[in-house]
Amino acid sequence: MVFRTVIKKIAESRPFARKGWRGVLLCSCILSLFSCQQADYSYDETPQGNLDALWTLIDERYCFLSYKEEQLGFKWSELHAKYSAKLNPKMSRVQLFEVLCQMLSELKDGHVNISTSLDLGRNWSWKEDYPENLDTELRQRYLGTDYHIGSGLKYTILPDNIAYVVYESFSDAIGEGNLSDMLSYLQLCNGMIFDIRGNGGGELTNAERLSRRFTNSKVLVGYMCHKTGKGHDDFSEPKAEYIEPSNSIRWQKPVVLLVNRSCYSAANTFVRNMKEMPNVIVLGDVTGGGSGLPFSSELPIGWSIRFSASPMFDARMQHIEFGIEPDVPSALNAGLAADGKDSMIEDARNILNTQY
Amino acid sequence: MLRRFRIILLAAILPFAAPISAYPEQPEMEAVPDRSPVARTLLLGFGWSNQLDTYLSPMGYTGIQASILLQSERMTRLAHRHISFQSTFHGVFTSTGNSAETAKYWGGRLAYDAGWHYHYSPLPRLDLKGGVMIGADLGFLYNNRNNNNPAQGRFSADLSLSAGADYSFFVPLRRNRQLPMQVHYQADMPAVGLMFCPEFGESYYEISQNGVGHNIICAYPGNAFSLRQLLTLDFCLRRITLRIGYLCDIRQSNSRSLKYRDTSHSIMLGFVRHFQLMKRSSSARMGQMQEYKNLKI
Repeated sequence: MVFRTVIKKIAESRPFARKGWRGVLLCSCILSLFSCQQADYSYDETPQGNLDALWTLIDERYCFLSYKEEQLGFKWSELHAKYSAKLNPKMSRVQLFEVLCQMLSELKDGHVNISTSLDLGRNWSWKEDYPENLDTELRQRYLGTDYHIGSGLKYTILPDNIAYVVYESFSDAIGEGNLSDMLSYLQLCNGMIFDIRGNGGGELTNAERLSRRFTNSKVLVGYMCHKTGKGHDDFSEPKAEYIEPSNSIRWQKPVVLLVNRSCYSAANTFVRNMKEMPNVIVLGDVTGGGSGLPFSSELPIGWSIRFSASPMFDARMQHIEFGIEPDVPSALNAGLAADGKDSMIEDARNILNTQY
Repeated sequence: MLRRFRIILLAAILPFAAPISAYPEQPEMEAVPDRSPVARTLLLGFGWSNQLDTYLSPMGYTGIQASILLQSERMTRLAHRHISFQSTFHGVFTSTGNSAETAKYWGGRLAYDAGWHYHYSPLPRLDLKGGVMIGADLGFLYNNRNNNNPAQGRFSADLSLSAGADYSFFVPLRRNRQLPMQVHYQADMPAVGLMFCPEFGESYYEISQNGVGHNIICAYPGNAFSLRQLLTLDFCLRRITLRIGYLCDIRQSNSRSLKYRDTSHSIMLGFVRHFQLMKRSSSARMGQMQEYKNLKI
């Protein structure tokens, strides 16, 4: 009743008022039409729609596409047709998942994943195709039972007065207090073995915080950039990354950093940093790599996607996506392992005891 | 006994009462309206929201929105009382999800705008207005599933163009009574300003290392077309002025290959309080001054 009366009143009002209201409504409608920002994807939830969405996402946002095409010998533009041929409209979610994972496996990147309720799509060839060079039982023998635990750090002093530190994941937070207490405890040692074998990465800030304890001056450790557009080579100007010395206790004695193929992502970045530090020797196998900072996104079907978005380089502006070469190659000796000895730790002890 | 108590009580308060009676009787204060009516509005809204932020996901998210809108408007003395001052505070909370229902966004936004409108009345019951507003907008959007880039911050400060119209009328009721009503419409569109926008693939780590200075960019309708439209109807229920309305709020940007959109449609319900600022008349003020002087003598 009231609404009808309102309409009637407006209709009965003088022509100028009617025109005024018409103008206002017309303007608002036009402005509303202009204001519709379309979604980035207009793909549907069919298998083809999801493959198109994934292909486009990697094409526009993955940061190593040109480098991987050159190193691995594929053409991303050709992969769309190759994997579209494997699709059919009636295929199950499991089958679609497999096809999409196969397409992403071409990138050989541990930071590229499809996360679903079915499974985690991954390519872990960066570590699975190589010897592990790590026996955690042997490592535990060196640590013993009375080792110290400072947040994510485990440490002890070996019989020849060598500090032995194990850091298994950069996801385990380490505070400045943990580091200061550890270095104070180990200060009378002749050298340090820092064992990050099996460390698959985590927080980059932990890698930076730890690196600052091993230098007395500002050190250039690498460069970093990010994508600025959808083109394969649209990158920002590489920005130099420096490690500033910590204001607290710093380690002044020789260090041997033990690495293997499982050192990935933030652990790989830590190795990059430590290679530039004085008195640090990297011993072991080539690291796993993973030098792209990952980003998250998703597909129309609702599956979560992770991919590398910001590449990091070493101090000579070289890619470290496929790993970092050690200063001293070393592998786990099965014969010594049978005797209860970790040959890589023993190599590190020899270096510290003889060369310094 | 009771009588004696009363006498003691009166004797006790007499010394305090005496000085008061020594003052001349206060003249009755004369007050006049200063012709600056103030309207304060509180509206609560509930509606539907459609969000897109390609820094977090290329997919659009839809869901619900709750909002609060506080608005104050008063006529100023500028331009022969044709210019009004309006301040608006808008708080929004959204909860949206993707079409596959596997992820959610939670968002919040606080916006404040202050502006001036020039009023023109071509008809006794019609009031048209147009002007400018300056404002700031601060918000966030959080994705509960993204591990590496879980949230996006929003900030903008802008100068907006604003236009609106008010139309008053009466609705006849039974027993020759009439119900006064008023329709309001106002549209605000940011014209120029600054906004926060990260670069296409810039990570949190880089933003924390490099600072946010390079991420503050110029915003204009070409890269950040936004519009807020509010259509309301005021009516009296007993002695309360109720306001019911529709709010269409469109916030969006398309810059650095990143798209952002937050479109909401809400039903608003609340009330309006009308004030009349009163001031003492000049004759009352003069009389009070004279009494003060007499007292000092």
